[in-house]
Amino acid sequence: MIPKTPRGFRDVLPTEAAWRLSIKEAINERFKLWGYLPVETPAVELLDVLEMGGELSNTPFRFFDSDNDLLVLRPDVTLPVARMTALRLDGHAGPFRLCYAQHVFTENDSTYGQDRQVMQAGIEFIGRRGAVADAEVLCLLFEALEATGIEDFTVAIGTVGVLNALVSEASDDPAWAAQVFAAFHSSDLVAVDRLASDKRAKPIYAEAISKLARIRGGEEAFEQCRSLVVPLGCEDGLDDLQRTYELVTANAESGKLMVDFSIISSFDYYTGMVFRAFAPDVPAALASGGRYDHTLESFGRDEPAAGFAIVIEQVMQALEAQGVLPPHVGPEQEITCDDANEMFARAKELRREGKRVVLGGGSR
Amino acid sequence: MTQRNLKIAVPKGSLFNDTVALLGEAGLDTTGLENPGRHLIISNPGVDFIIVRPTDAPVFTTYGGADCGICGKDTLVEADLDVLEMVDLKYGYCRFVVAEPEAAAGKAEASYARLGVRRVATKYPRITRSYYEGKGVQVDIIKMHGNIELGPIVGMADRIVDITATGTTLRENHLRVVSEVLGSTARFIANPAAVRTDPRVIELASRLEELTRDNDVTMS
Repeated sequence: MIPKTPRGFRDVLPTEAAWRLSIKEAINERFKLWGYLPVETPAVELLDVLEMGGELSNTPFRFFDSDNDLLVLRPDVTLPVARMTALRLDGHAGPFRLCYAQHVFTENDSTYGQDRQVMQAGIEFIGRRGAVADAEVLCLLFEALEATGIEDFTVAIGTVGVLNALVSEASDDPAWAAQVFAAFHSSDLVAVDRLASDKRAKPIYAEAISKLARIRGGEEAFEQCRSLVVPLGCEDGLDDLQRTYELVTANAESGKLMVDFSIISSFDYYTGMVFRAFAPDVPAALASGGRYDHTLESFGRDEPAAGFAIVIEQVMQALEAQGVLPPHVGPEQEITCDDANEMFARAKELRREGKRVVLGGGSR
Repeated sequence: MTQRNLKIAVPKGSLFNDTVALLGEAGLDTTGLENPGRHLIISNPGVDFIIVRPTDAPVFTTYGGADCGICGKDTLVEADLDVLEMVDLKYGYCRFVVAEPEAAAGKAEASYARLGVRRVATKYPRITRSYYEGKGVQVDIIKMHGNIELGPIVGMADRIVDITATGTTLRENHLRVVSEVLGSTARFIANPAAVRTDPRVIELASRLEELTRDNDVTMS
């Protein structure tokens, strides 16, 4: 039998492990400077409890423990932190600024054969809403990505507010609405167009949905969006998004921010802004996040919240794509000496100076 | 810094000629692409055409082997990968149908009544599954790689789900269409990161949209 690891899991050897650690530390330093405090949540959760917060789909590991409880290896950290805040921080007044760096375990059909365990470093900002809170989350994402050494990245933002408003005005048919959301979730703009000309929907709203999916760009995208949705009374969340955009572009020092309404995807718990970060030549998103104002309520505590998660594996791919090599990790010096006591003493002296020293000698 | 070439996945097979013509119309330098011979990649100023099996176009686009590409809607449904489906190019029309042997009319119904499950042979298990799930019918899928029509003939399956453009092959094999599953045309697809970081992808998508907007759906 080959002593291998399970499919989608791998060992990380020293060079890469040290690199990962330094990236996590650089990110965590930014989290700390913004006043975010670290938390840890269990690797496993009770499936029923986690599902109170949202539908779980990409969870490859579900099992019964010896208590006969149905457990799930956490597929994300947002729901566990929301659960924790509702349960454990009861009696404490918010806002809460929390950060983490934890493994998550996901897989769906489209990622079959890929990693099933990835490291996410992220934040959750709980208890505040509005453009300033949203801009805080985004500015911190920009700083954290910059701190990793990625030189060129783009964060695409949109809001589910406008889409929700248009969909509910367009039709009373829940099946049609579900199909529109599904088309957005799978980034199928052709299906969005087809649904827009469906007779179950009022054409004026439905056409706006199809145009919305293609609005993309800088400041000017807001004007485009306004002229589309204001006459229909569907500008929900747009003022906040524009204010957020202005705050972030004025304060972020690197990276690009763009408006992109086709970004609305993947998680059903977002209620306001949604965003994903991309780098050239990295095929998957570096980070994703958004506002989820109803999730804590479902765990029994009504608080607004927003956050993001950066995927360390994708950050490393972006660094490799721009030609960054892993930092050297070997010891700086080896001490050998016939007198073992002296060897230990000399090594201790060098370590006081901050040198990485290994002891020589020994036998095998 | 000079910008690297835009990488476009171009499907071999029935979509190939229409795709090459359209990319040329869109202003890309398609020199050498019409007759690539054994070349896998045709590199011209500003663009690399990566010639792939149609079913692999979404794979190349998802994993960054190509920034964007062209493939049939059927392949997209079957692959279920993370790409943006941006433009319906309208050519390469084909449809997925459920069919059964003409001689065995009624047999499938009898078999379903007895087993409570449809036995279906297909090359497209995902499309088949989602079709029957949508109808609330339980299905046993037998995945095959070719000559699907043999499935019902030898009694492994009651029906088949297969692709057809004109229906000629089905008729030649004495199969009759029971119902329509899905109509498919060629689509322009793009990698989600490329759409947000490389303006050339959006420009190409808009050009292709303009070129095909007023076209009617055609077969290849």
